[in-house]
Amino acid sequence: MNLERMPNEEKLSLCRRYYLGGFAFLPFLWLVNVLWFFKEAFLKPAYTEQPQIKSYIKKSAMGLILWVAVLTTWITIFQHFRARWGEVGDYLSFTIPLGTA
Amino acid sequence: MCLLQLWAFGFCHLLFMNTSDSEEDSYNERSALVQCESPTIPSYNQDHDMSLPQETDTKRRRPVSSGLDEPGPVERERASTPDGEEEELTLKYGAKHVIMLFIPVTLCMVVVVATIKSVSFYTEKTSQRLIYTPFEEDPNSVGQRLLNSILNTMVMISVIVVMTIILVVLYKYRCYKFIHGWLILSSLMLLFWFSFMYLGEVFKTYNVAMDYPTLVMIIWNFGVVGMICIHWKGPLRLQQAYLIVISALMALIFIKYLPEWSAWVILGAISIYDLIAVLCPKGPLRMLVETAQERNEPIFPALIYSSAMVWMVGMADSSNPDSGELHFTSCHMLKCLLVDFLTGGVKLGLGDFIFYSVLVGKAATTGGDWNTTLACFVAILIGLCLTLLLLAIFKKALPALPISITFGLVFYFSTDNLVRPFMDSLAAHQYYI
Repeated sequence: MNLERMPNEEKLSLCRRYYLGGFAFLPFLWLVNVLWFFKEAFLKPAYTEQPQIKSYIKKSAMGLILWVAVLTTWITIFQHFRARWGEVGDYLSFTIPLGTA
Repeated sequence: MCLLQLWAFGFCHLLFMNTSDSEEDSYNERSALVQCESPTIPSYNQDHDMSLPQETDTKRRRPVSSGLDEPGPVERERASTPDGEEEELTLKYGAKHVIMLFIPVTLCMVVVVATIKSVSFYTEKTSQRLIYTPFEEDPNSVGQRLLNSILNTMVMISVIVVMTIILVVLYKYRCYKFIHGWLILSSLMLLFWFSFMYLGEVFKTYNVAMDYPTLVMIIWNFGVVGMICIHWKGPLRLQQAYLIVISALMALIFIKYLPEWSAWVILGAISIYDLIAVLCPKGPLRMLVETAQERNEPIFPALIYSSAMVWMVGMADSSNPDSGELHFTSCHMLKCLLVDFLTGGVKLGLGDFIFYSVLVGKAATTGGDWNTTLACFVAILIGLCLTLLLLAIFKKALPALPISITFGLVFYFSTDNLVRPFMDSLAAHQYYI
């Protein structure tokens, strides 16, 4: 998909769909949205749909940061306390490293 | 059943030269379009016709074939420029595409070889086999083993032939929904199940603890964004990356589950089949391409790797090509030579990636060191160059597998049996050459 050749309404619609799609536990989609439309939203000369695209990008970015924070916290907790949790830790684990307590 | 789909999925592919724009050229395109308005109008029809086959190239399930579907630009060159310049431009046109294809093919092979070398799962032999290679290879008897591998190959090839014929029939009778559904199911399986397996093995290899919630998030995100990029709209680079990853995953599955000798015989047989299927007038692939050209329609979402995204591929779902967009596309194709004409994107089918990677991956598995692997890698790239050269000369659908696979096989067996012992004894005797 080449954004250059899309009319502005389509760009807006695409950006909006990516933004809405990200609510289905898809922070990666928000990341793609931000990276893809960043130039469109902030580095291009203004056009009618741009403010809306900007707002979608900002909201996607906020959602992304939130998810990253949540995931980082969870991963840190898990990695640190996994051994201590005993059975629950094993139940939650997909792979259990060998050779450590 | 699902492996059958995957097989068909991975197998069919198509290589077409396509005068779609690359993103870097977009600025040039705009200015070129303005410049080219008047001169291109008289030749519009000609290029319009020639542009249509290219739209139908979105079919990805053809066995490897390569073709130049847009002779328009090259012909215009001849009309308007002196010979020397024309040749130079043709070469430049060709060289850029060679480079544009080298990168993804190399990346795919690098991913496969890196995985093979680090994750032992894919090199462990299991008693599990695909149902398409039902004959077990007995390591004790050479004759028996050879016979069984040939039988396995025959089974595999007949499966492929049947699948291709089914596909052609489905396409002829316009069962697009069915084909669509099939493709989506196959890509779902690849993006979710195989990547799950892959990730699990990587974590086990590196002894990393991973919990289910994080894993589910990773696989879910990877899979859904992959489906969106491939089957709907997404950034070009991301789509290319996903296609490379899918090809690598598929190649790894083949490397794991195909028995040793059968794999080599299958590689050879597939190249021959490809040659026949694409070039013979009655070949299924050729019929498919011709049907698509007659109908002048893009087919279904392309799982072809496109070095430059044609946005037609993105709208491949529509069965009625929008004439306005056709015009736009043809205008793109009619770009002026003076401005960077390289609007051509090259399309390479996923099956090509997969089989190239299978060859190099197997070389990495069975070869003792890097010589064999590198030799096969170089061989495949040389074959690819030659194929693209032939493409530029013949300007029609050509199979891309035979030359590369032949070179690859030749290089593999000769390196393994001649060069390696030679290098080993040189090293043992401390001669450096």
